[in-house]
Amino acid sequence: MSDDFGAVSAQEEPLYGAPRLPEGGTGGVRAILRDNLFKDLKNSILTLLFGAVLAFIALRTLRYLFVTARWEIIYDGPLSFYMVGKDFGRTGISYEMLWAGIYVAMFTGGIAAGLGNRSAGPAMSLSARAAMIGGPLFGVVFILSMTRTITPTILTVGAVGFLLLGSQAARRVRGALKRRLGLIMLALVGLSFGFITGFDPSNIDLFGGLLLTLVVAFAGIGLSFPIGVVMALARRSSFPLIRPIAVGYIELIRGVPLISLLFMGQFAIGFMFPPGASIPGPIPRAIIMITLFSGAYVAEVVRGGLQSVPSGQIEAGKALGLSPLTITREIVLPQALRNSIPALIGQFISLLKDVSLLVIIGLQEMLGIIDVVLARREFTNQGYTPEAYAFVGAVYWTLCFSMSRAAQRLETRLGVGTR
Amino acid sequence: MTDETSNPTPSTASTPTSSGAVMSDATVAGGTGEPMITLTDVDKLFGDFQALKGINLVVGKQEVVVVIGPSGSGKSTLIRCVNHLEKHTSGTIIVDGTELTADIRNIQECRRECGMVFQSFNLFPHMTVLDNITLGPRRVRKKPKAQAEAEAMELLEMVKIPEQARKLPGALSGGQQQRVAIARALAMQPKVMLFDEPTSALDPEMVKEVLDAMQSLAESGMTMIVVTHEMGFARAVADRVAFMADGEIVEVGTPEHFFTNPQEERTKLFLSQIL
Repeated sequence: MSDDFGAVSAQEEPLYGAPRLPEGGTGGVRAILRDNLFKDLKNSILTLLFGAVLAFIALRTLRYLFVTARWEIIYDGPLSFYMVGKDFGRTGISYEMLWAGIYVAMFTGGIAAGLGNRSAGPAMSLSARAAMIGGPLFGVVFILSMTRTITPTILTVGAVGFLLLGSQAARRVRGALKRRLGLIMLALVGLSFGFITGFDPSNIDLFGGLLLTLVVAFAGIGLSFPIGVVMALARRSSFPLIRPIAVGYIELIRGVPLISLLFMGQFAIGFMFPPGASIPGPIPRAIIMITLFSGAYVAEVVRGGLQSVPSGQIEAGKALGLSPLTITREIVLPQALRNSIPALIGQFISLLKDVSLLVIIGLQEMLGIIDVVLARREFTNQGYTPEAYAFVGAVYWTLCFSMSRAAQRLETRLGVGTR
Repeated sequence: MTDETSNPTPSTASTPTSSGAVMSDATVAGGTGEPMITLTDVDKLFGDFQALKGINLVVGKQEVVVVIGPSGSGKSTLIRCVNHLEKHTSGTIIVDGTELTADIRNIQECRRECGMVFQSFNLFPHMTVLDNITLGPRRVRKKPKAQAEAEAMELLEMVKIPEQARKLPGALSGGQQQRVAIARALAMQPKVMLFDEPTSALDPEMVKEVLDAMQSLAESGMTMIVVTHEMGFARAVADRVAFMADGEIVEVGTPEHFFTNPQEERTKLFLSQIL
């Protein structure tokens, strides 16, 4: 990240007419300030003007955050509404079970992160690491500051611990275990899902708040990715019937707004099931629709990645006598997916934010739960709305920013953009 | 391509020559005398453009045939047809006694016998050098990993870069990459090696290391078809040189006859331009 900033400022320097700083910065702080901020009269005026505007915004923001904001809408909300929804108690799932599921998920994520460590790219600098951890850390601290006991903080630290444990485990495994790591991770994901839903998937319909957002988002990401890859490959297939089906699916879905798909899921999906069959609840239906929606976009992203692999790669595979399946799996897909990472992560961040649209079909994910809290007698009609939306916005930001940072780390590790 | 139009003029390559036999017949195998690759009346059309016109060529076992000619003359298309990277429009191609058909099993079987080295190396950038070389033997020949890696190391010794085994191709110089590509093709233990302008994408100082590797391969008795602009290599290593122009084999001969006493006007013109 710091490298990016460095590149940008280096390009912009001529615009300001400021000279490049001497290597080693012999002039000290005063010289740096003078050369960059108070070079001449125009420069000084601009510095003071923007300095004043920035200071005003910073002051107002800090004053709101720490003085005027009435955060009791969050911590007395109660906070558990934002986190797991108002009906979570009715599922009978204990918080121990839920945290066990989160820990298993973090451990699995750690394994995945550790695997990406077969580094091809350059090592990350310390400042890049700090920038990577800083933002998410700030968000998590903000969320945790709304809790009234130390327990959630301890549990969160524990979750980070499991993440690190997973990445260490991934580096240590050898032999047969390593070869089956994909299956093991799949089993762990299943176990995590089992814990979180209390081993009864129908409990999902009682989820709300952040938990619902995350379950829908991760289910959508996890399911739309394979669908997208298969559809992208199908769209390039030379078989007669497969290509039109893939093109039809992708173009049909991409031509329809997600909201209308979500409404279709709630009101029209019943027609697709045979009479008498049990139709899934509203949340699984929403997951199906989000998955179908995202799958079409993932397919186009992956198709772009597939096209970026030079034809010489396929020819080299053919010349070795490899089968088309082996060429796709061992040669084309690894390179195509690596090249798709930036766009894929963008798609998944977009999916996570799209989960907030569930509020429109009456589901109480994080945004929807605000209405429930605001309707409580102690908060209603007292102007608590900004705090509630600010909090939910902060939670979304923390999630999306963490994803984007994790993706950046992955890109660096895999050396995307370098060959 | 129909038979009427496939061979409007008799191929100059098979034209009977004077009793001095300055020019050899393209349809008589060199090397040990047994044919390894036989092309008969091979045509290749790209849309309306005819890239190959009635090619007749027999490459014998252990023979090295160097194909030269101006760009666009069909040299690359010719060797790409031999391992079916391009599908020939008509005619027959027989590799080691098996005719190439459209059947995918047949094609894969043929490709396993024909190692190919490309102008642009085409190494797999996401795999280490060792994985590049062992992919084919492990996936196609079903060799155990340890055996495949041991053999790959021997091949890397042969092309003189065993110390690069664990690196990614991107960290290697062009010449080193091309030598890895040669080792990768050899790892399949092919009966024939096809080289498609293997030194054209290299910096001048790296050409020699690749040509040296190819020469030692030729001396070990490998059957080779080499498309190249390296006339020095053609003189020193080729058993026969084939000159192509406009999709036809114009002239075939031993290097000394070919370079000192070419028979065809087009050959003389080409040689006068490059020598």
